[in-house]
Amino acid sequence: MTNQPLDRELKKGSAELLILSLVEQRARHGYEISKLIDSKSGGTLRFQVASLYPLLYRLESRGWIQGRWVEKAGQRRRRYYRLTAQGRQVLIAQRRGWQQFVEAIRRITGIEYA
Amino acid sequence: MPDWESAISQRLGPANLDPVREAEVVEELSQHLDDRYQELRANGVSDAEARRRALEELKDSDLLARELARSARPIAPPSLGTLPESSGYFYGFLHDLKIACRNLRFKPAFSLMVIGMLGLGIAGNAAIFSIFNALFLRPLPFPEAERLIDVDETAPKWNLKYVGTANPDFFQWQKANTTFDGLAFYTNGSANLSDKDSAQRVRAAQVTYTLMDVLGIKPVLGRNFLPEEDRPKATKVVLLGHDLWQRLFQGDRNVLGRTLKLDEETYSIVGVLPREAVIPDQAELWVPLAGDPKDSGGWYLSGIGRLKRGISPEQALADLTRVHKAEIPKGRTVNEITSPILTPLRDRALGDFRTVSRILLGAVSVVLLIACVNVAALMLVRGSMRAKEIAIRTAMGASRGRIIRQLLSEGLVLAVAGGVVGVLVGDLFLRAMVSLMPKDNLPRWITFELDGRFALFCVAITGAAAILFALAPSIQASRVDPRGSLQDNGSRTTLSRAKRATLGAFVVFEVALALLLTISSGLLVQAFRKVLQVDPGFRPEHVLTYRVTLPQATYKKPELANAFFDRLTERLRAVPGVQAVGLATAPPLGGHWGNFFVAEGDKPLGPNEKEPVVLQIVASPGYFDAIGMTFVGGRPFNERDGESKDAPVAIVNESFAKAHWGHASALGKRIRYHDPKSHWMEIIGVTKDEKHYGLDQEMRPSVFMPLRQISRNSLAVVMRGSIDPQSLVAPAREILRQMDPGLPMFAVRTMSEQLNRSLWARRAYSWLFGAFSTIALLMAAAGLYGVVSYAVTQRTQEIGIRMALGARPEQVLRHVLAGGMVLVAIGLSAGLAGALAGGQLLKTMLFGVSPRDPMIYAAVISGVICIGLLANFVPARRAASVDPIRALRFE
Repeated sequence: MTNQPLDRELKKGSAELLILSLVEQRARHGYEISKLIDSKSGGTLRFQVASLYPLLYRLESRGWIQGRWVEKAGQRRRRYYRLTAQGRQVLIAQRRGWQQFVEAIRRITGIEYA
Repeated sequence: MPDWESAISQRLGPANLDPVREAEVVEELSQHLDDRYQELRANGVSDAEARRRALEELKDSDLLARELARSARPIAPPSLGTLPESSGYFYGFLHDLKIACRNLRFKPAFSLMVIGMLGLGIAGNAAIFSIFNALFLRPLPFPEAERLIDVDETAPKWNLKYVGTANPDFFQWQKANTTFDGLAFYTNGSANLSDKDSAQRVRAAQVTYTLMDVLGIKPVLGRNFLPEEDRPKATKVVLLGHDLWQRLFQGDRNVLGRTLKLDEETYSIVGVLPREAVIPDQAELWVPLAGDPKDSGGWYLSGIGRLKRGISPEQALADLTRVHKAEIPKGRTVNEITSPILTPLRDRALGDFRTVSRILLGAVSVVLLIACVNVAALMLVRGSMRAKEIAIRTAMGASRGRIIRQLLSEGLVLAVAGGVVGVLVGDLFLRAMVSLMPKDNLPRWITFELDGRFALFCVAITGAAAILFALAPSIQASRVDPRGSLQDNGSRTTLSRAKRATLGAFVVFEVALALLLTISSGLLVQAFRKVLQVDPGFRPEHVLTYRVTLPQATYKKPELANAFFDRLTERLRAVPGVQAVGLATAPPLGGHWGNFFVAEGDKPLGPNEKEPVVLQIVASPGYFDAIGMTFVGGRPFNERDGESKDAPVAIVNESFAKAHWGHASALGKRIRYHDPKSHWMEIIGVTKDEKHYGLDQEMRPSVFMPLRQISRNSLAVVMRGSIDPQSLVAPAREILRQMDPGLPMFAVRTMSEQLNRSLWARRAYSWLFGAFSTIALLMAAAGLYGVVSYAVTQRTQEIGIRMALGARPEQVLRHVLAGGMVLVAIGLSAGLAGALAGGQLLKTMLFGVSPRDPMIYAAVISGVICIGLLANFVPARRAASVDPIRALRFE
């Protein structure tokens, strides 16, 4: 229970980076994004509807990603998100910051990353 | 499928979102939960468990509501786009267009269909309009052309609308009228233009010196004729046409004062006329008429007058009639029969084209109308499908005007694309049509080019199409109730009763128009077939005709001319492959020379009795054989006929014989000219009527006279061969050159070609009508099919219920078919009423067919019913094969 707020903050700080990274190459819809976070993190990181979508909407309102409804025959329409030019700048900056942060932690804790 | 939406909406409640935004969020989240649920089910999780775990995604729902309330996500513009604020009107318009293009790109099949249909409709209209424009709208190439008017004489008693103006009349009119700034008269002829070693036939007009002033034409070089050059025995002068100047002298500006040899006489060049000097039509050079006021020869002049400013044609006619009739007491009694007639230049030149091209323009507008109706139906259906999108926009505060503007922009984009396709294809149509027209049948001032008026027409028609097919659906779509459409899940947007009625009315309208057009084209095609079946009264196959004219200067004496033509005939007969050779002043389709005859024992004509003009043809003995005319009695001319002045002879046609002697034999009877001093001629033969003026024209009574009896300098040579007549041209030309190198051979044509050409207009419009009606039928069928299919799709669920309740497939089939066929039936009756009324308009274009020909009506109606059944059957069968289980699930 005690580590939950920290966990939440950690996730929140990194979550933006995760989402921006996932839509960097191609547009994805919400469920796909949540699945990828789940599978790529080996189940460690999991976003539920309540946390994922508000985040997506916030990123969108900042103009970092852009959502668009896409219709396919015989299916419900889905909303796909793609990285905007502004989002790309943010992603580059955040990546750099995150690497510096991880590097700093590593130096202090002596943990080696593969 | 579990209902996620209510669960989500419940949890979103505290966020207090805008309803439209909430709808979007709910949709997106439901999709997510659905994906989760499907995945779990696919992994073998039970339904209840999968449902529970999916809903677990929504835990922390307070967080969800809070976060959502905070995150200020703008609703992304739905596909209609939003207008940036504080943008100018023009930017708004561009923006609309951009969005419209984007929307249309998303529906390529729909867009292509619309563009195709409009394109076809506009293409037809563009092509016909260019013709109409050229014929009726483009101004004549003369200054103040509206004051120019054709001047002629008319003689209803002779069964002639236009007789030509007689020499004494023209002098009198010119002298005594008070309503014209100028009157000019001319004859359209041709002359042999020769130099030392070659000869050619040029179209030479003899004109009064006033012609250029009346037309308002200034020579580009030199001067007009002087009054003193336009008198008998004046010095011979000539004005060159622009084209001939270029051809003979390569546009040399030092051409003035040089001479030309025309019909063996020397003329000096006094000027060159500009290219637009197109009266008389087709003339290449002009010489003074040099008429003699005392010469009371026939009615052979064409006339043109320039009205004084402010004078109406009626006033001018009254003035000329006054002058004309004033001559009767002075001894010119024939003026009791003739009187002046004034006709606008254009009408005179176009004749029957007027009606024909108007009717064609009407027909092609029907095609465009059907195309627009189809497109409107498509837009209406699409508008209903877009009701939700429009509802969102309305909910977001878009005004109705804004939405109509957007839909109109889409209409405009489609119409412009259709317009571009239409104009390009229309240009091809036009070229095809123009290539069907023989060049010398139309005045030279008629040119089929695209001009500003054409561009304006295309813009107007495109704009009208855009408004016509976008406005109604726009208004309807913008009346969408946002709440209703949003609650609907979007996949089942049924049409209201009013919209269904509108679609039904569209179909009825289309069927009616298509029927009207098809009946018209059926009648015209049938008329054309009837014309082709007409017996021409001669055998046109393997016949070559051409004209030879001997100049008066060198062949002044009749014996010289007769000897020349005898020798020519003899030499031509010796050409291998030639079966018969004959000469005549006018072979079939070769023009009209009128005269009047009385028969021995005729009762004097009453004052109101008609005396139809008689076609007079002078022919050589071999002519009847060469042209292939048949005799119902008597014999053709032989070599001795007409040699003796005391025993003149004549041959008449059946019409003439019937007019004078009814069913009694004409052989041995005698006729003469009106002049009591003229000789009586004995009738030695009666021919079957030949279709002298064209297969679809009335034949006049006619009289043939032997060449020996009245010598002629200008004759048509008729050669019948056992081989392709074209191959006779070269030997014939060589023989003529050997006999007299100064004589050109002109108007060289095969008889079949001439017959064919004489029918070009009828062929062209019958063909066009056929093409239009085919397009109309196809479009109407497509419209019918579309509307019925759409109705079936809309009613899938209803049909499913009916079938679940025990309706058999054939009952469903019958039900749907009947629904569609009711529309067809209403359309048919409306179209039928239209055709019965409108058929009268076609009357002048028909031949041997009643405008209410029952066979055509029956054939067309059954054809339309078959097409209607077919267009209905496909969707009806689909309805009958509906699986009730699936249909009930259909959402």
